Amino acid sequence: MTNVLTRPRGADAAPNGPEQYPAPRYRSLLGADRSSWLYWATIIVLAVLVLAPVVPTLIQALSDRPLYESGGVFTLDNFVRLFTEADFGMVALTTLAFAGLTTILTILIAVPMAIVVVRTDIPGRRIFGVGMQWPFFISSLILGFGWITMYGPAGFVSTWVRSAVGTVPWDLYTIPGMALTEAVALAPIAYLFCANALRNADASLEGAAQTVGAGPFQILRSVVVPMLRPPVVYSSILVFSMSVETLSVPLLYGQPVGITVFATFLYKNGLQSINPDYGILGAASTIILLVTVLLVVIQGKLLREAKRFVSVRGKATRPRLLDLGWIKWPAVVFIVIYLLFGAVIPIGGLVFRSFTAFFTPLANPFNALTLANYQRIWEFPVYLASIRNSLIVAAVGAVLVSVLATIAVVVARRSTFRYRKLIEYLALAPQAMPGLIIGIGLFWAFAFAPFGLGAIVQGTLAAIIIGFGLRALPSAFGSISPAVMQVGEELDNAARVSGADWLRTFTRILSRLITPAFGAALVLSFVTMLKEYSPAIFLGSAKTNVIGTTMLELWVQGNSGSVAALATIQIVITAVFVGVAGLLMKGNKIDA
Amino acid sequence: MPDVVVSQLKKEFGGNTVLHEVSLTIKDGEFFTLLGPSGCGKSTTLSCLAGLEKPTSGVISIGEETFFDGERNKFVPPEARNLGMVFQSYALWPHMTLAQNLAMPLKLRKVPKGEQQTLIHDALDKVGMAHLADRYPHQLSGGQQQRVALARALVYSPRVLLLDEPLSNLDAKLREQARVWLKRLQSELGITTIYVTHDQEEALAMSDRIAVMSSGHLLQVGSPEDIYERPATAEVAAFIGRSNFIDGTIRSVVEGKARVVVEDATAEFEVHADRGFAAGDAVTVAFRPERATLVDASAAAPDASVLLPGDILATAYVGSRVEYTVRFGKRTLLVDHYRGGFTGPVNVALPEDAVRLYPRTDVVPEDVEELMAVTV
Repeated sequence: MTNVLTRPRGADAAPNGPEQYPAPRYRSLLGADRSSWLYWATIIVLAVLVLAPVVPTLIQALSDRPLYESGGVFTLDNFVRLFTEADFGMVALTTLAFAGLTTILTILIAVPMAIVVVRTDIPGRRIFGVGMQWPFFISSLILGFGWITMYGPAGFVSTWVRSAVGTVPWDLYTIPGMALTEAVALAPIAYLFCANALRNADASLEGAAQTVGAGPFQILRSVVVPMLRPPVVYSSILVFSMSVETLSVPLLYGQPVGITVFATFLYKNGLQSINPDYGILGAASTIILLVTVLLVVIQGKLLREAKRFVSVRGKATRPRLLDLGWIKWPAVVFIVIYLLFGAVIPIGGLVFRSFTAFFTPLANPFNALTLANYQRIWEFPVYLASIRNSLIVAAVGAVLVSVLATIAVVVARRSTFRYRKLIEYLALAPQAMPGLIIGIGLFWAFAFAPFGLGAIVQGTLAAIIIGFGLRALPSAFGSISPAVMQVGEELDNAARVSGADWLRTFTRILSRLITPAFGAALVLSFVTMLKEYSPAIFLGSAKTNVIGTTMLELWVQGNSGSVAALATIQIVITAVFVGVAGLLMKGNKIDA
Repeated sequence: MPDVVVSQLKKEFGGNTVLHEVSLTIKDGEFFTLLGPSGCGKSTTLSCLAGLEKPTSGVISIGEETFFDGERNKFVPPEARNLGMVFQSYALWPHMTLAQNLAMPLKLRKVPKGEQQTLIHDALDKVGMAHLADRYPHQLSGGQQQRVALARALVYSPRVLLLDEPLSNLDAKLREQARVWLKRLQSELGITTIYVTHDQEEALAMSDRIAVMSSGHLLQVGSPEDIYERPATAEVAAFIGRSNFIDGTIRSVVEGKARVVVEDATAEFEVHADRGFAAGDAVTVAFRPERATLVDASAAAPDASVLLPGDILATAYVGSRVEYTVRFGKRTLLVDHYRGGFTGPVNVALPEDAVRLYPRTDVVPEDVEELMAVTV
């Protein structure tokens, strides 16, 4: 055998002769190699998915009649009517008030909590840190149900207070009530950003302050708090844009008393009116989209800026904990109140409610224990089907979304594709698309898809999967992207030089190395899609209800016991799934 | 294995030119080194050769086969070039054993299973790692990983071996041994090797020829002796080894002898000038510390053509020699001498062939100049 390793110098018989192991050849189709085909397929799939709900919405907004009627004429009339007949200006102001108040409350809860948990020596810091992850398991819809069950006009706590004091000093069905609930749900997100910034910050800054004689409070005021400005600004915008598009709390609290925000406006005009005005719906969606897109663009800009502030050092310095003295006890009480009254009592109450026939402090609920609420779900095939549908949508959707997100990340970050930046923008674009608008837009898109393609999808679980999947795509992309960035590019390059084309490098090397991140994206997408419901309000049919839409239906019927039962089922499924997935992934880590 | 020819290679990154029309010919079987400080374009050149970067213009070919031709818009992707490459981080695939790492390029080439086994064993054996074939990369030391990376790059008998600072992650002692080992292996195999490094000692010790690069330009190509003894430009003299630089002006040129007046100090001398210097030209005079000797100012001048009067500023004993810092006008000069004991006024004596003249260049960075400047 003559190869380089055994051949003595100068013994090369035929210097230009055929090589012993020539480089592998890869087939190309129509002049483009197979990697290019994948690039183009990815960008086309993403573009179709993202544009499908947007384009019909824009056309509808500018058309004088419903899209399904031929001969539509371009007009701005819809926008005029939106602000005159439909009083959209008032809706916008209400939304602004609601989102603004939510943002302020969220920051007021999150910032002190982040400082106290990350940087001071309060007891139980670790438990509080874990406790802040509760919204991962519980959707804001369920939280809303829980709050109403406990603090609503006829809620358990309200009734108890009324019987004790004679009156209830709060009213949940107001803008401040809505904002408080929403803030409790969103506080963990702002907390996460602030806590990360505090953990990453250079501890020697504080050490430096200590050496010049600053006390713990001076350090907090002059070093820690200013460092928090970037994450606070960023998470404010994030929370603001999330509360601009949220449906759950406004629907449960505001709708009955006539407080209308963006999402409930779409809900009311699109679903509740017998003869929906599509022009107004399109125009409203367009304006809402403009607002959310603008907010997401600002977020992107701020995040890039914020990254400049974060001083991550190569050497990990463990932040020194500040000794707060007696102040730490009020701090602990504050956090306990948030977790207890914000999450534990409402959710615990809701779960308890699911096992009782009635739920009021006026009669001992322990005497009314029953499984009837679960039985009702069990007996009605549509309710049972909604659980099955949710599981199918979440499972199939999670796989599809994670695969698409992985391919999008790898093409966006690791290819020489000319439009790789565009792929990233497309994958992250659904961040700016409220669930209801995705629902309405896809509904229209299916109705007008060529070759009757839409008719095949319309009203099936596939439609729900597409809608929910779009919503879950940005977070899946965001969770895989850092893992890909962590894999050294030289590993790719080594495979390329060894004879693997781009696609084979991906399948043989990169895909294996990001398997843990792919697993995490699967779990995240599954949980996100299990909790999701808003696109299904427009996309769903009687056969394709999911847990969320069924809960809403039961709620409207006044069947709060079964709502509580379904909510409990959803929480249990999520917890079991996350627990099993966590065990599996831990097992994998030991193998590797 | 035919010659590697690079001509007029140019690479721009978003309007920034990192390679300025570099041309090189690397001969069959040669150990060729691209040497330069970080950011000089040496790694970019290597990446262009490997096909990992697409050049802006120029031509790259190996023998009859053209890998890149900017004018004909031809670009052969890395997987079709059949080259071997070792990366700075070694880039061993962490999820595969050593044997699997080596098997990958063979599998891609559809080499029969039985032959694969033999090839993998031979390659690992060559680098002394055959007994660890079933280990995973993270179970190896850095030096072992580096050798496996080399085996992986050689196992499929590539046309040319590309090495991107493969020794830079090893500690100093190991690096010296690896240098000897790698050079011996290369000459045994006779494979054309292109080596990228910023370490001049490495380059001098291993290479058949060296190309010195700086900010995207090729400064000089030559044998290690050429590069060290006869640097083509003041930058090369500054980058390779240590050099003293003095600014001066040519007063006259007579019969190939240039008379140089030193700025910043009172001295003038006559040296051989091989370039077309003319009277009035501003020049940079360079010489190496080990080529100079010291004589007491009071002692008789030795038979040297250049004498530079100065005062000893500092003395550093470094074992094999003594390093003197000599105040020379507003500058300091570095002189190596075999014995210590010089103090006060001295003469720095230089044989004529130790002194090289270059057109005036700013080779000393400003901050270094500040440190070296003598404030009286």
